[in-house]
Amino acid sequence: MTGSWSNRLLTAYTLAFLVFMFAPLVLMIVASFNDLSPPSVVDWRGFTTKWYTFFWDDEAVLRADPVMRSLDRERIIGCFGNSLLVAAVVVPCALVLGLAGAVLLTRWRARANGVLWWVLLSPMLFPGVVLGLSALIFWRELGVNAGLTTIIIAQTTFVAGYPMLILMARLQRQPSDQEEAALDLGASPWLVFRRVTLPYLAPALASAAVIAFLASMENYNTTMFAKGGACVFSTEIGALARNPNGHPPIINAVGAAIILLTVAAALAHTLLQRREMRR
Amino acid sequence: MGSSDLPGKLRGQDVALQGMSITYPNGFTAVQPTDLVIEAGEFFSILGPSGCGKTTILRAVSGFVEPTAGKVLIGGKDMAGIGPNGRPTALIFQSLALFPLMKVWENVAFGLEARGVSRRERRKRADELLDLVALGDQGDKRPTELSGGQRQRVAVARALAVDPAVLLLDEPLSALDLKLRQHMRTELRAIQQRTGVTFIYITHDQGEALTMSDRIAVMNKGVIEQVGSADAIYAAPQTAFVASFVGETNVFSGKVIGLETGEKGPMARIESPLGPMLGRNPAGLSVGDAAMLFVRPERMSLAGPEAPFGNQLRARVERRDLEGPFVNLFLRAGEQELAMHLTNAGDAGQGLHGEQTIGFASESAIVLPEGTLAATGREMAEHV
Repeated sequence: MTGSWSNRLLTAYTLAFLVFMFAPLVLMIVASFNDLSPPSVVDWRGFTTKWYTFFWDDEAVLRADPVMRSLDRERIIGCFGNSLLVAAVVVPCALVLGLAGAVLLTRWRARANGVLWWVLLSPMLFPGVVLGLSALIFWRELGVNAGLTTIIIAQTTFVAGYPMLILMARLQRQPSDQEEAALDLGASPWLVFRRVTLPYLAPALASAAVIAFLASMENYNTTMFAKGGACVFSTEIGALARNPNGHPPIINAVGAAIILLTVAAALAHTLLQRREMRR
Repeated sequence: MGSSDLPGKLRGQDVALQGMSITYPNGFTAVQPTDLVIEAGEFFSILGPSGCGKTTILRAVSGFVEPTAGKVLIGGKDMAGIGPNGRPTALIFQSLALFPLMKVWENVAFGLEARGVSRRERRKRADELLDLVALGDQGDKRPTELSGGQRQRVAVARALAVDPAVLLLDEPLSALDLKLRQHMRTELRAIQQRTGVTFIYITHDQGEALTMSDRIAVMNKGVIEQVGSADAIYAAPQTAFVASFVGETNVFSGKVIGLETGEKGPMARIESPLGPMLGRNPAGLSVGDAAMLFVRPERMSLAGPEAPFGNQLRARVERRDLEGPFVNLFLRAGEQELAMHLTNAGDAGQGLHGEQTIGFASESAIVLPEGTLAATGREMAEHV
């Protein structure tokens, strides 16, 4: 009987886990189709898609709506553009730095490796506030004003940790035999890296780029402190959410769109992997 | 094997270790100070159990490990400070270490790519080398699409492509099954003879070492115990370890109790648990020395009425294993276990039961200073 009892407990736990994880997302999506601001699911005022179409509707339509009229669409879109711009710089920088760190820690056995590992990973472990503030203060001393530049610098310091961990895992799975063989055949270290190490790392680099992109896009706390007068998408969403009268449902719409994109990307990844396996 | 001549001009060079020792940063001395000369164009094997330091020697010659003391010379030139990519050596890894993302021909041509040879020239040379190892039509495949034996030959072709003076092989056949392994022995030997490249072959498999090599070094615990031809290693071992590691043998321990002069040289008599026994005494042991007497199973025979043995003993037959052309007999005399091989000249020893008188000629036995014995198969099985 104990078997069925523990089984029931496990089932209950699993259900609770799924409810806690997905119920808020479901509520958020449902509220994004309710014609009410601030968003609600209990007070249903009719189905609408206007919180989605807000982003491309005519100015006239916006001006006619009491909620949307108060929102600065140009600014929101501009901040989103800034996010893409920041990520476009942060991702390649983080990949290069992470790759260098990963190769250093897995392929060059040095006594300082243990310390180095902590030094390279510490930005990931610091509170984001500290990172953001220190970047802000340090660069101001050097005459760099807070803005997109300091956001990029502050983000890169901790985002680089993700590629490093992913690439290290991949490099550790590969014994250094192939690299030694290439070296033994007369290749320079650079040729070994270009022809043997890098092709082997290509799939891991792709995953690392995606993770780094997401980390850059979604980061709030470090960015908040480093941004100065500039804005990115995450800080702008944060600003909208702090509205004392409750946040506008366009935030729900944006959230729903992000979920859709994430699920689609995960599905595509799984399908691609399955096709690769079959080959 | 293709019948074409080897393209390019390959010539072996000699390798010398001068007082070379290697101690790892953790304090473990993998190779004790070693002096060794490997002649140009020689097929030289280093034979020893795993962990004996043989791979470390190989890595020191190829340049992946710097000697802690002493020198490595190739073709008379000191290799100190020259990395693996600057030495006239090519190493064939135990794992083969083929590049899985490159085509077979690109693998073979990689060393040429490193030397800045044009793509067309590389392809031509790779195809010639693939012809040499009978893989002429496999160049556009990936290594993973080939069989184990074919991958093996790709690794050989890739190493030969850089015109090495010394080819270093780290147990390259260990991943292959028995038939293929035996076939590859013949092929490697043929390639070595055709190219004249110096081969240094690392193995723990005495069959490989004995069949392929011009000379063999037997190594244990970082020390080369003996260097010699296969015949010398097998027939005239110089240490207890060599006698017990190479081939099967029966061991009797005891103190030397007498010295004699035989037809072919000095002899020593020991007091074994089974009584006094006489054997050759190449090490010049004196009376009172702790010694071990070794005799090969094939040198033991059943006592017939007309067989005058120098050494004779009574033992009980415990098991008989038929190998086909010969029979393995396992006997016991007190605490002592004995093995003997009988040629299958008829009934394959089926009638052998109970106590038998067996013996061996004194000239077939060798008395050596007491020493560490190699682990037997049973001991190794118990440690796994």
